[in-house]
Amino acid sequence: MRHDRGLWLAVGIIMVILGTLVHGSPSWTASGAETMHGRGNVHGALPTMRNDDRGPVAALTMIGGDGGRSPGNTLMSAPTPKRPPSHGDAGPGPKIATVLLPGESPLVSFRILFNVGAASDPPGKEGVAALTAAMLSQGGSRQMTYEQIVQAMYPLATSFTAQVDKEMTVFYGTTHRDNLETYYRIISDMLLDPGWREEDFTRLKTEAINFLKVNLRSSNDEELGKEELYNFIYEGHPYGHHNRGRVGALEKLTLADVKAFYRQHYTQANLVIGLAGGYPPDFPERVITDFRRLPPGSPTRLKLPPPPPIRGLKMRIIQKETRATAISFGFPIPVNRSHPDWPALWLVRSYFGEHRSSNSYLFQRMREIRGLNYGDYAYIEYFPRGMFQFYPDPNLARQQQIFQVWIRPVEPRNAHFALRIALYELKKLVDRGMTREDFEATRQYLSKFVNLMVRTQDRRLGYALDSRYYGIGEFTQYVRRALARLTLDDVNRVIKKYLQYKNIKIVVVTKDARGFRDAVASNRPSPIHYPAPKPKEILQEDEIIAHFHLDLRPEDIEIVPVERVFQ
Amino acid sequence: MKMFTFIGTLLCLLIAGSAHGTKDVFPYTYFIDDLPNGLRVITVPTDHPNIVALQVVMQVGSRNEVEPGKSGFAHFFEHMMFRGTKKFPAEKYQQILKRAGVDSNAYTSDDLTVYHSTFSAEDLETLLMVEADRFQNLTYSVEDFKTEAKAVLGEYNKNSANPLRKMLEVLRDTAFTRHPYKHTTMGFLRDIEDMPNQYEYSRTFFQRYYRPEYATIIVVGDVTRERVVSLVKKYWGSWPRGSYVPDIPAEPEQTEPKSAHIDWPMPTLPWIMIAYKGPAYSDEAKDMATMDIIANLAFSPSSELYRRLVIKEQKVDQLFPLFSDHRDPYLLIVAARVKDEKDLDYVKERILQTFASLKTTPVSRERLEAVKSHLRYSFALSLDDPQSIADTLAHYVALRRTPETINKLYRLYDAITVEDVQAMARKYFVKAHRTIVTLASKR
Repeated sequence: MRHDRGLWLAVGIIMVILGTLVHGSPSWTASGAETMHGRGNVHGALPTMRNDDRGPVAALTMIGGDGGRSPGNTLMSAPTPKRPPSHGDAGPGPKIATVLLPGESPLVSFRILFNVGAASDPPGKEGVAALTAAMLSQGGSRQMTYEQIVQAMYPLATSFTAQVDKEMTVFYGTTHRDNLETYYRIISDMLLDPGWREEDFTRLKTEAINFLKVNLRSSNDEELGKEELYNFIYEGHPYGHHNRGRVGALEKLTLADVKAFYRQHYTQANLVIGLAGGYPPDFPERVITDFRRLPPGSPTRLKLPPPPPIRGLKMRIIQKETRATAISFGFPIPVNRSHPDWPALWLVRSYFGEHRSSNSYLFQRMREIRGLNYGDYAYIEYFPRGMFQFYPDPNLARQQQIFQVWIRPVEPRNAHFALRIALYELKKLVDRGMTREDFEATRQYLSKFVNLMVRTQDRRLGYALDSRYYGIGEFTQYVRRALARLTLDDVNRVIKKYLQYKNIKIVVVTKDARGFRDAVASNRPSPIHYPAPKPKEILQEDEIIAHFHLDLRPEDIEIVPVERVFQ
Repeated sequence: MKMFTFIGTLLCLLIAGSAHGTKDVFPYTYFIDDLPNGLRVITVPTDHPNIVALQVVMQVGSRNEVEPGKSGFAHFFEHMMFRGTKKFPAEKYQQILKRAGVDSNAYTSDDLTVYHSTFSAEDLETLLMVEADRFQNLTYSVEDFKTEAKAVLGEYNKNSANPLRKMLEVLRDTAFTRHPYKHTTMGFLRDIEDMPNQYEYSRTFFQRYYRPEYATIIVVGDVTRERVVSLVKKYWGSWPRGSYVPDIPAEPEQTEPKSAHIDWPMPTLPWIMIAYKGPAYSDEAKDMATMDIIANLAFSPSSELYRRLVIKEQKVDQLFPLFSDHRDPYLLIVAARVKDEKDLDYVKERILQTFASLKTTPVSRERLEAVKSHLRYSFALSLDDPQSIADTLAHYVALRRTPETINKLYRLYDAITVEDVQAMARKYFVKAHRTIVTLASKR
């Protein structure tokens, strides 16, 4: 059998197999669970790909991955957004927001979103937002035990998954409309009348701790480095811990903490109901009426402090036993999707390092020409689980974002060179900007590629919810119109305005942490060695890169044993 | 030229199919056209406006790597396919794809290599043209070859942090003695490290396998059969047929249970994988179809074993079967991650007992029907958009070169009985055919 929307890889995190999402039972989806969009053959046979991991592999790899639809966190409440087209409802209490995309499909997609996430974890209780979502999506309701829910959902081949980010928690699933009634009854009880059983709590708390300790620390150096970069950049800030929490805090969390978080944040005011597909016309009204059982709450606004300033280059080296060296670096940017400069910066990112695309500049310079590693990409929005998927998941909307470069694992002897070339190329981008030809080609690419980002019903629904959050209207139209208006001057202006190469935080995962620190701090030349002759112009450029000065003194570099990460 | 048309609808297949097994589970009309050179074209028009998914499925994978020192080559070669031709050097090829806004990539597994792209309908001809060119006229320098070999090693390196990858590597190496399933698609590390020296062999590989008789082109989405076939004839019609047929060694019967243990250098939770030699994929014999059902019955989240180990006793946090389709007999694997190393033996016994009880205790008809329902709805839910339809087709086309195999397989599922489950369990869950691999942190 192939795709399995029915097979599992359960992994406390998730999984699925093949082909597309996980449908299966809530057990392996939900909150710690991850969904994967893969393709390829499954079980046991790990396909390998040129520029990607899909399918089975992905499923397997996920085990080491950022499991979980990653949780996010946030605190406060609703972001900045304007309020676009949402349909309200009649009746008492605050208006419950909805995003409705009715259609002819035999499938019905749900995205029940709460404007709360891991940034709302109280200090000392980091992880409570994600654990609350897990208790709802992977625990029992008052009417049914979790085991009964798994059994009931199984013949429907569907699932109910939670994803927690800093400022959003979304519960989502798709069912065939044959089964809408059964499915909706189960999931509405899960959200509105949770069972709060101690045995579910114990299982899910252990799962969350193992996710951080085992899946991230010891099975996936790339996600480890990428997630730790956020913690490093946002130290002392509500974004400053992993969406799943901290190990030390999780160990102390109680069921009472989770229930209190639910009472406080799962309110009508924080709720947006998203529905898409072939549901009956009166269905949304019924859902709204049911969700009036939540306390009304009041719209709260998540007021975030600015991200801590970065002065110079700062490096954190995570020391662990590993074959290769993983590197990520970045810095905060004052641009999110609601910002007028977002389309221009989004284009620059695509040109410089489109996710998992061999078209991008960094990929060409680092992998295609030099064979340094598997790929090199750039981001202006949070994009977890990138090693398992090609398209960003929706509903990870945030007020604050960072610019990030992800260098996939390199041989340790080339790690210093890899860091240098990435920063060298970033400097070139900032100093010289983009050419007209590159601008036009990237604009043309994105104008078409944006259609693929919303190619399924569930993704369209997710993007519509994000557009509501950011106040930008339908995503593909917004992007195409904005791209059509852009000029080369616009993109070169935003490069100068938002990108830079002097104040950056860098996270490195490697075995010989001291050796790497000493090499970097002494600015020792780091020549690259090739198995075959290279053109003269590449060798000349290599010579410059091998001596490219990085302004990192020993005091700018800290070494952290992996056991302390996420603690 | 042959043409088959099958029509169904998602709805009717779901309502009626599971009960009687007479409806086709694959709900789209499809067309098969065979060119004289052996190339097959499968066109699936759908009503997704303006989106087209194109996949070129090559029936070559790590299964074809029969020569010593050449493991990992099918995958490596897939990388080389992005290095360009005289007409469209790599840079030019990338530019064309970029301007068309194409999502393009490739992957390799044991039995197949797939080149896939998704794009706007207006770019269909461009894509068929540039793809045809690289399949027929690939050229690359020794230097590019060596550079790409380093990227493949980088891929091995990025994967190496994952314990499951290592376990599958060891499991296959232990369980198989002669068949190329002995190595993973990545290949043995020693062979990956030697890849920069294999330029000449790479040309041989291309000449052998990148031939129309190994290829099937799948086009799904906003297209017509007529246009697709005329464009394929135009650009792919002169691709010369080859003659190479690999001699893939059969795996001798395993005569005693085997085991292996991996010391993991990092702190981790222990893992166990229990595997039996299984059947090859078939849409006629019930063996593999029954195994798919058993995977669901006995090891899915709805299974008794899962409920016990994961939900009630909470000794295991991950439990899943890996029963995958293969052209030749492969492995039926169950994997579990154990929370406490002292429970490793207990978990092993529970899994073994589950395999054993399938031989002696009939499963309930109700459970069997729930599994069949699950399989059908899973399939229906997976056909979301042109890309996912093409993804699904690629898997089956690599096995049987026709979408009809999907309908046949689901009819087989419907025909599986409680007695079949028991009989197949007795046939395959045999101690002498078993391999167990464990992994735990080095003490």
